Amino acid sequence: MKASRYTTIKRIILSAMILTPAIPFVLTLLIGFFYFDTSLENTTKSTIERIVRDHGRMIDTFLRERKNDLDWILRSNSYEKVIDPIHLKHLFQLLQKESGAFIDIGVFNEGGDHLAYVGPFSLEGKNYQVAPWFAEVMKKGIYVSDVFLGYRQVPHFIIALSRTIGEKKWIIRATIDTKLFNDLVEEVRIGLTGEAYLVNPNGIFQSQRRSSGFLMEKDLGFAVLPPATEKVQTFIPRGGTDNDYIYAITRLVEKDWTLVVRQEKADAFGALRSAGFRVMFIAVVGGILILTAALFLSRFIVTKIEILDKEKGALGQQLVRASRLAELGEMSAGFAHEINNPLQIMKNELALIQLVWKDVMGEFQLSENENTAQIEDCLNQIQLQINRCGEITQGILKFGRQSEPSPQALDLQSFIPDVVKMISKQAKVNDIDVKQHISKSVPLVYGDPGQLQQVLLNLLNNAMDAISVNHETAGGWIQIEATGVDNETVQISVSDNGCGIDEENQKRIFSPFFTTKPVGKGTGLGLSVCYGIVETMGGRMDCASRPGKGTTFLLNLPIFFKNNALLKVEA
Amino acid sequence: MDKLKILLVDDEKRFLQTTQKLLAKLGYDVQTAEGGREALELLKSKTIHVVILDVKMPGMDGLATLKEIKQQYPLVEVIMLTGHATVESAVEGMQSGATDYLMKPEAPEVLIEKALAAFEKRQRIEEKIRMAQTRKFVKSPREIIRDASDTTLPT
Repeated sequence: MKASRYTTIKRIILSAMILTPAIPFVLTLLIGFFYFDTSLENTTKSTIERIVRDHGRMIDTFLRERKNDLDWILRSNSYEKVIDPIHLKHLFQLLQKESGAFIDIGVFNEGGDHLAYVGPFSLEGKNYQVAPWFAEVMKKGIYVSDVFLGYRQVPHFIIALSRTIGEKKWIIRATIDTKLFNDLVEEVRIGLTGEAYLVNPNGIFQSQRRSSGFLMEKDLGFAVLPPATEKVQTFIPRGGTDNDYIYAITRLVEKDWTLVVRQEKADAFGALRSAGFRVMFIAVVGGILILTAALFLSRFIVTKIEILDKEKGALGQQLVRASRLAELGEMSAGFAHEINNPLQIMKNELALIQLVWKDVMGEFQLSENENTAQIEDCLNQIQLQINRCGEITQGILKFGRQSEPSPQALDLQSFIPDVVKMISKQAKVNDIDVKQHISKSVPLVYGDPGQLQQVLLNLLNNAMDAISVNHETAGGWIQIEATGVDNETVQISVSDNGCGIDEENQKRIFSPFFTTKPVGKGTGLGLSVCYGIVETMGGRMDCASRPGKGTTFLLNLPIFFKNNALLKVEA
Repeated sequence: MDKLKILLVDDEKRFLQTTQKLLAKLGYDVQTAEGGREALELLKSKTIHVVILDVKMPGMDGLATLKEIKQQYPLVEVIMLTGHATVESAVEGMQSGATDYLMKPEAPEVLIEKALAAFEKRQRIEEKIRMAQTRKFVKSPREIIRDASDTTLPT
C-alpha cells in the first residue's frame, strides 16, 4: 500500500521531469532541423537554377555567334567566290580567327553536291542529297544538327545556312569542334558531383556527361525529367536513394536541346546530413542527460519523502504520548487538590484529638505508661504521614502547574540543596553519594525557580539512571558545583560516574524525542525541554561525556541584575 | 482590649465543626459560615476581627466574598485558605485586600499564628484611627465636622 504510493509519486515525478524538458528539447531540435532543411533546399535550388540559367545563356550565345559568323560569310560573298577553294580557304581562316570552334567549312549546291571544302577531311564531290541535315536546311534556310557520325565516322554537329539569289540557291556548312563545345558545356562544377550536359528531345547525349554517359548514348535517366521549357525548372526525385540527384533543366533557345545541371543529393545536402548527425547526437546525449537527471532526482526526492514520512510518523506518535503525559499531569494536579481538603480536615481532627487526649489524661489522672506512650506515638505517626501526604500533593501540584515563567533572583546556596533534598531519598536507596560544592561567593542567578528546579531534577534523575547502569549496588556518585564564571555568568555543573553517552548520541541528546531508554520509559523530551528552558533564561547548556566513565552537564546561567529584571518585565 | 473573634468560612461542614471545637478549646471565639452569603449575614450582626476564607466554594466563591467583605467592612482582616497550591489565586486574593494566605493542609498552630498577626494589625490600625481622631478634636472641631462627610479610613 505504502510502497505503491511511493511508486506512484516516483512515476509522476519521473514522467514530469522527463517530459517537461524533453518536449521543448525535441521540438526545438525538430523545428531547427526542419527550417535548416528548408532553407538549405531553397539555397541549393536557387544556386543550381542560377547556374543552369547562366550556363544556358552562354551556350545559346555561342551557338548564335557561330550562326552569325556563317551568315556573314554567306551574305558578304557571292556564289562564285565561295566555291573558289582559294577564296573559301581565306574565308575559313577569317572564321577560325573569330572562333576556334570551326573545324571545316563546305559549300553545296541545291542538288547536294559538295562543291568546295576546306578542312581536315576529303569530302569534296560527295553528295548530301539524302542527308537529313540537307533536307532540313533546304526547307528552313538554317539548321543546327544533333551530334552525328556522318561520312567521316566521327561524332560532330554542323551548322548549315542557305542563300538564294534569283534561281540560284547554295548552302554553306560548318562543323563545330565537339571537344571545344563539350568543354564549354562541361565546365560547370558544383561541389563534388555537380555536372552539366546536353540532351536532345529523344534523350540522346549531345555532350559528354562527366559521371557517366558518352556522346550520342541514350540517357537512361532522361525519362524522369519533366518536359523542358525555356523557363528554368528544378526537380528533385522524391523518395530515392542517396544516389539520387537534384536536377535543374532549361531548353536552349538556339536549338531544341535540353541543358541539364545536376548534383547528387548527398553532395548537395551534405551539410544537412552532418547537421542531422549533430542533431541526433545532441538529442541522444541530451536525452540521456535528462533521463539520468530525472531518474536520480526522482529517486532522491522519493527517498527524502519516505524518510520525512517516517520521521513524521515517529513525531506524531511522540506528540500523542507527550500530550497524554500533559493530560496526566493536569489530572494528577486536580487529584492532588482534591486530596488536600480531606488532609486539612484530618490534620485538624488530629490536633483536636491531641488536645482532648491531654484533657482525658488530666480527667482520669492517668500517669504516663506504656499504653499512653503507644497512643501518643501513634498520633505522632499519623501527623507525620499526613504531612508526608501533603508534601506529595504539593510536589504533584508544582509539577503539574503550567504557567508563564516568572523569573526572579535565585540564591543557589539554598536553591540547590533544596532540589537535592527532593532526590536524596532515591539516591540513598541506590547508594549514590551526592556531593555539593557551592561556592560561598556564587552570585544570584536570574530565572524561574520552578523551571530551574525542573532542569536540575531532570539532570539529577538522568545521572541516577546512568549510575544504576554502571554501579548496580554501590560506588556511584553525583557532584553538583556552582561558581561564578565572570561578571555575567554562573556555571552549574552536574557530574556523575555513570555509563556515559557515546559520541554519536551526544550530538542528539538535546533533540526532542531522542531517547536511549526502552519504549515507554522515556519520552525523549526531558533534555530538550531543559535546553529550551535554559535558552529562554538566556543561558547555555552543554554536555561532555566519556562512555563508561561518566557525564558532565554544564549550565551557564545569567547573573541577576536589577536592570536585567526591569528589562525582562518590560519585554 | 478586645478578644480575637474569628469567622471561619468553608463549604466542608466537618472542617468547620472540628476547627471550631479545636480553637474554642484553645480559648478563641470562633463563628462559622458554610458560604459567602452566610458569612456576610453574620458580619452584619456580629463583631468579627479576622475572617478565614476558603477560596473554592460553591455559589459565591472566596474571591467574590473577599471583595464584598472588603467593600462593606474595610477593617475586617481576611486570610485566604486555598486547596490549590496555585499561588496565583492567593496572589489575586492579596491584591484584593487579603492580609495573608494559608495553603491546605496547614497545621492549626499556623492558622492561629496568622490569625493573631492579622488581629494585631487590625488593632494597630484602629489605634491609629483613634489617635488621628483625637488629634483632630484637639485641633479644630470645625474641621472635623467638614471632614466627617468625606473621611476615608486607611486600610
